[in-house]
Amino acid sequence: MIKVTDIHKTYDDGKVQVHALRGVDVEIKEGEFTAIVGPSGSGKTTLLNVIGGLDTPTLGSVSISGTDIANLSENELIDFRLNHIGFVFQSYNLIPVLTAKENVEFLMLLQKRDEAERNERITKLLKAVGLEDQINKKPNEMSGGQQQRVAVARALASKPDFVLADEPTANLDSKSTANLLDIMLKLNEEENITFVFSTHDQRVIDRAKRVITVEDGKILSDVTK
Amino acid sequence: MIFKIAFKNIWRNKLRSWTVIIAIALGIFGGLAVISTATGLSDMRQRNAIKTYVSHVQIHDSNYLKYSGLKDLIASEEKVMSYIQESDQVEGVSARLRIESFIQSAGGTSGVVLNGIDPEAEKQVTNIAEMLQEGNYLADFKRKPPILISKKLSTKLNAKIKTTIQCSFTDINGQPATGVFKVVDIFTTSNSMYDEMNAFVRLEDLQSISRLYGSHEIALTLKDEELVEQYREELMAKFPGLHIASWRGIAPGLGYADKMMDLVMTIFLVIIMLALAFGIVNTMLMAVLERKKELGMLISVGMNKRKVFWMIVWESIFLALIAGPLGIVTSYLAIQFFGKYGIDLSFAAAGLRSVGLESIIYPTIDSYYYIVISVLVIITAILSCIYPALKALKLNPSETLRTA
Repeated sequence: MIKVTDIHKTYDDGKVQVHALRGVDVEIKEGEFTAIVGPSGSGKTTLLNVIGGLDTPTLGSVSISGTDIANLSENELIDFRLNHIGFVFQSYNLIPVLTAKENVEFLMLLQKRDEAERNERITKLLKAVGLEDQINKKPNEMSGGQQQRVAVARALASKPDFVLADEPTANLDSKSTANLLDIMLKLNEEENITFVFSTHDQRVIDRAKRVITVEDGKILSDVTK
Repeated sequence: MIFKIAFKNIWRNKLRSWTVIIAIALGIFGGLAVISTATGLSDMRQRNAIKTYVSHVQIHDSNYLKYSGLKDLIASEEKVMSYIQESDQVEGVSARLRIESFIQSAGGTSGVVLNGIDPEAEKQVTNIAEMLQEGNYLADFKRKPPILISKKLSTKLNAKIKTTIQCSFTDINGQPATGVFKVVDIFTTSNSMYDEMNAFVRLEDLQSISRLYGSHEIALTLKDEELVEQYREELMAKFPGLHIASWRGIAPGLGYADKMMDLVMTIFLVIIMLALAFGIVNTMLMAVLERKKELGMLISVGMNKRKVFWMIVWESIFLALIAGPLGIVTSYLAIQFFGKYGIDLSFAAAGLRSVGLESIIYPTIDSYYYIVISVLVIITAILSCIYPALKALKLNPSETLRTA
């Protein structure tokens, strides 16, 4: 489903060149629960951004569900992200003025899905993340763990091919982390949803089914448990 | 959804949004206040000038205005007067004999135009009779013929009511002529320059002293001001040998003042709109920069840049749509209130009188301006958010998520 071939990414601010990725090859299949791990500055977030079409590689190709995203225009890429990729960010990044329900609904509105489908999916997803009783709360009325669960529901709302989560537990306490991982694993196992994380959180690494270790912009190891 | 988010976004920072809303409302209020006050001033100046000394239409002999010659009396005056008096459109008509004179009292001297008038006829045309200290409109006098002088002239001549004054001029034969008058009352109009230059005596008194049996000027007012030009043309067709002018021709300064006022108002409006635009640019730019991470997230998850652009534009439009009615209602109420009770500028009364204005100004405005200002403000609001919105479009989602 995701095929990354010989990816290089170099940041150049005119003074200094930073080689964030130096020839990465990865293939992720449907239904995987994969953690990309490594220390800060190792290139794991860059790899995740390149897979998610948020960053373009300097060299190499990224194919998602058969589409080479390097060939897409900026607007096509945005549409592609909307319809194929779900995102969960480290600091939740919900829309602060919208309720949990509206945050989940947002992407479906962008996709122009009809109201009945939206409502059905909102109920299903918020129930799946255990927030069916919090639907009218705004992000500032929820805990960090709850907000991140809304973010997971939002990421799944658009029926993406896979979910990319950039350090999703970095701001969560142990209980919330365990809770979130339980939910994501359940979704992975019961509904075959593909999750790809970047993380250096051992709690996540321990429960990941595949761990790709990145260091200095290269894959150091790739272990399937 | 875009509307909903945009509307909710403007209340994220209530203080800032209200600051912008109040700024826009003040912009509208300022624009309308300036226009209504300027229009009120202009109307007052025009109304005062017409009512005090210009009237709607004036008729002279063709040579009179060029040379101010004593002999340039209006030919066939009776015919002209009876034609005018028979018209249904005419409110009042007054024939005047005007002689430039040297006026002196025991206390001082001055140059003045003596206006010989029929008091009753003049009352229908100008409002001098309403501006007297004691209400003696050339009616109550003994032996010496009466004269009305202005407060300003009385100060200059050190003359009071009952003071005898002497007016010297040349008669029809070029010989010196002198008239001795007694001040029976003192008037004050809203135009101090006019006051200083004019005095009123009875027509028959001035005719007998000057031996000029006729009039230099016929002034008339119409019932409907809108018909001035039409009636003037009618008179011109009827009496082609005479010089017939409407108030616009007699006092072109009034028209120029209107045009100048229009220009000043336009400049003022441009300044207000520019101030407003910079205020909105600043606020929306802050709103965009403050939300870089969120905007980056929206683009990341699939909101295309066109929608992001319109979301920011709609935020600005919503601000303008809230501020617009607020500014208009406030302005309307203020204009209605001050239009009824006036703005008291007594502290500047002397300065205002020197340019023909009263010290209480009654703002007035065409309802059309409410629409013009509202549209201008909304256009300004939209135009000024374009730069911040374009700035938002340049955001790189991965960068904003990483750095913001």
